[in-house]
Amino acid sequence: MTDDLEQLYQSTYTAVVRFLYRKVWDAERAEDLAQEVFVRALSHRPEKPRAWVFAVAANLARDEARAAMRRKRHLTLLKGDPIAQPRITPAADDTVEHDEQMASVQEALSTLTPRDREILLLWDAGLSYPEIAAQTGLAVGAVGTTLARARRRLVDAHDRQQRHLESDAAHS
Amino acid sequence: MRHIPEDELHAYLDQALSRTQCVEIESHLADCPSCRATRDGIAALRDRTTALLARLAPPTSSLPPFDSLRGRAAEVRSQRRRRLQIAAWAASLVAALGLGWSGSSLVRSHADRVGAPALARSLDTAPPVAASVPVANHAPAPSREQPVPVAAAEPVRRSAEARPAVRSAEQRSPAKQAHDERHPAPSREVVVPSQDSARAAREATLSVLSPTPTLELTGLDPSARQDDLAGMWRTMSWDGAKAEAGERLPHIDGLPVVQVQVQSGEQSSRTVTVVAQQLASGQVIRTIEGPATDVTQLLSRRSLAAADSAPPSDSARVDDGHAMAMQVGDRMLAITGDLPSDSLRAMIRRLNAELRTK
Repeated sequence: MTDDLEQLYQSTYTAVVRFLYRKVWDAERAEDLAQEVFVRALSHRPEKPRAWVFAVAANLARDEARAAMRRKRHLTLLKGDPIAQPRITPAADDTVEHDEQMASVQEALSTLTPRDREILLLWDAGLSYPEIAAQTGLAVGAVGTTLARARRRLVDAHDRQQRHLESDAAHS
Repeated sequence: MRHIPEDELHAYLDQALSRTQCVEIESHLADCPSCRATRDGIAALRDRTTALLARLAPPTSSLPPFDSLRGRAAEVRSQRRRRLQIAAWAASLVAALGLGWSGSSLVRSHADRVGAPALARSLDTAPPVAASVPVANHAPAPSREQPVPVAAAEPVRRSAEARPAVRSAEQRSPAKQAHDERHPAPSREVVVPSQDSARAAREATLSVLSPTPTLELTGLDPSARQDDLAGMWRTMSWDGAKAEAGERLPHIDGLPVVQVQVQSGEQSSRTVTVVAQQLASGQVIRTIEGPATDVTQLLSRRSLAAADSAPPSDSARVDDGHAMAMQVGDRMLAITGDLPSDSLRAMIRRLNAELRTK
């Protein structure tokens, strides 16, 4: 029996993992959460599975971020000093370059407001304007406006960073 | 000529517009080089965004077989069923235990009556549930002259010495009209440290609050019996007391209830309730609620009786049970127990706040 959910799984699993990865910044965790999303979908059998899957993924990521924040606060209390951001361990040269590029985009993305970031990531995950509107509570007409602003800000923030890096390199 | 707003061009390129909107935009673009340039810029911006975001991809992502997820989903479903079954089982266990508890308390109160034949004879007009101490109506109310009643502090102790004191207290105090006096006063708390004297007399007052009515019953003078339920202390089941006292059955949430005693008055508003609850340490604390005059009597008879006899020894005072009372209008709420005054005060404040919201 071929299942609608199975088809959705085949077509969107990677997108869901990527969507989650951009929120939790841990590939393994993103995959665990993505699988959890589809396990829940199998129990719930939602009417609009694609939008549902991303809505649940967003919720799981939010819970995850809250738990991480609590853990971090707890650790901070225990240790009395702030926890350093998790660092990507450098491996081969090309990996280092990839990681640097990634870090710069990650940083540019973090300059966006949570709402702009969410809508940009949902769009990039393949959701339509009405689906994004339904999930975020935005009017469909406002999705284009938000996306226009989010795209502009992401690219501007990234370009600014690159200019900084280049001028730093020129000075040293 | 109106140019196309940027967000509309984003939506156009995102293919989020209707067919007619697209036709409109395309016909405008054909005639407007400025909008065409803007469109090209936005198209480039879109591509760059997509390219930048593409870098934010996890290293590897293999697709686990869908059937493994199906298995997990089935597991989750059966777990949920099991949890429901456990919850149902636990609920029935709790119900069974509750039945057993109230059943055993019925048996106990029956045994009390068997153990006190003299009283059983004297109480033959009382309903079978009554296991009672008819003392409150005969108490002197020494604080009557004071505008604000005083809560007394007492050690919680019981002994056979209580018996003569009950009689003497009742002989001293035939003043029944004391009940009808009311002293409306602003809410106020008073703590009086115990005067650990007159053990016998103190025991008499405390016997009203003690968890087992047997002692008081055997000690009672048969002449002290009541003609009807008014003024009688009865040990009741939680539900029965709740039915009688309504929502005004003050207690500390989350502590096991050891005993509920109710003194019915002539009107339902005159009901005095005493709820005994046990702390984790084994300590029993009692929450008393009723008309201010009745509760004051209950508490102040203890201090009066205590004042009658020998002064307290300091060592005894340390272990004293304390009482804390708060008067609101003509009702009074009191807590007694071997706890620091701070704890009692905190409890009574919380209780008062809870009662007011009910």
